[in-house]
Amino acid sequence: MNRPQSQSTGGTVTPPPNTDDPGLARERTALAWTRSALTMAASGVLIARAAFVGNLPVLGVVSAVAMAILSALTWRNGRAIYRERREPRMPKLPQTAAFGLLTVTTVLIAAAAIVVTVAI
Amino acid sequence: MGETRAETDAEGSSNADATGLGATVRDEAGASERRLLPWWLAFSARRERRLEQTGSDPDPRFTFANERTFLAWNRTALALIAAGLAAAQFLNFNLHGLRLIIAVPLIVLGAALALASYLHWEDSERAMRLRQPLRYSWMPRVLTGGITMIAVCGGILAMVDRLAH
Repeated sequence: MNRPQSQSTGGTVTPPPNTDDPGLARERTALAWTRSALTMAASGVLIARAAFVGNLPVLGVVSAVAMAILSALTWRNGRAIYRERREPRMPKLPQTAAFGLLTVTTVLIAAAAIVVTVAI
Repeated sequence: MGETRAETDAEGSSNADATGLGATVRDEAGASERRLLPWWLAFSARRERRLEQTGSDPDPRFTFANERTFLAWNRTALALIAAGLAAAQFLNFNLHGLRLIIAVPLIVLGAALALASYLHWEDSERAMRLRQPLRYSWMPRVLTGGITMIAVCGGILAMVDRLAH
């Protein structure tokens, strides 16, 4: 295996060409994204159901739609990484946008969940 | 790195880059989000540029490992929120309000971990770009302490609820 640490002695070192990297790290990452998409879809169903039980249908529909959109985007992200799994370079996806969107939505879902919990 | 990124984008590969992400959301969103989304993309692009200007690119495999860790924490956060919702619906204490003592802390813990996981991702990415040692995260401790406390509360509540009736 390459030892990237030993090659990164200079100031502006581009990542070493990992000719012995079969792309498993990218494949694992792609699978993590698709797993996250499934978790999000399941959470969307759960919160929508809870909202309807708590007599908050509007909140239920809004959360379900938001989670459906986010789940689809997350899935797409995973597929994009999977397609490029053999290219040994930095990911070119807008990571901060995707991660930030994920984080903000999770916090909003938590806020909705608290509202629903109190309402049930 | 920014130049190579622009070049490969121009080649028109079909992945979810900034414009692709925006187009999908814009199709389904209302008028108010039309202004919110460009703002969000610009805001995160600024943060990303600041990160890219720090140090130099690490081995992509390390970046991917950092990304997976973030995603795993985010899933944990979602699982905690889902557990809180389940507790709210399916716990059947005689005192109806008691289930909030279990459900709300679970959901709050999930929200806190979601936020912390993003900050930890940025922190780790910065450390890797500067070839500095990674800082340990306090998240495992919070998760362990939180779940333990909620479990103990659940046990005590179940006993008190039974004894009171």
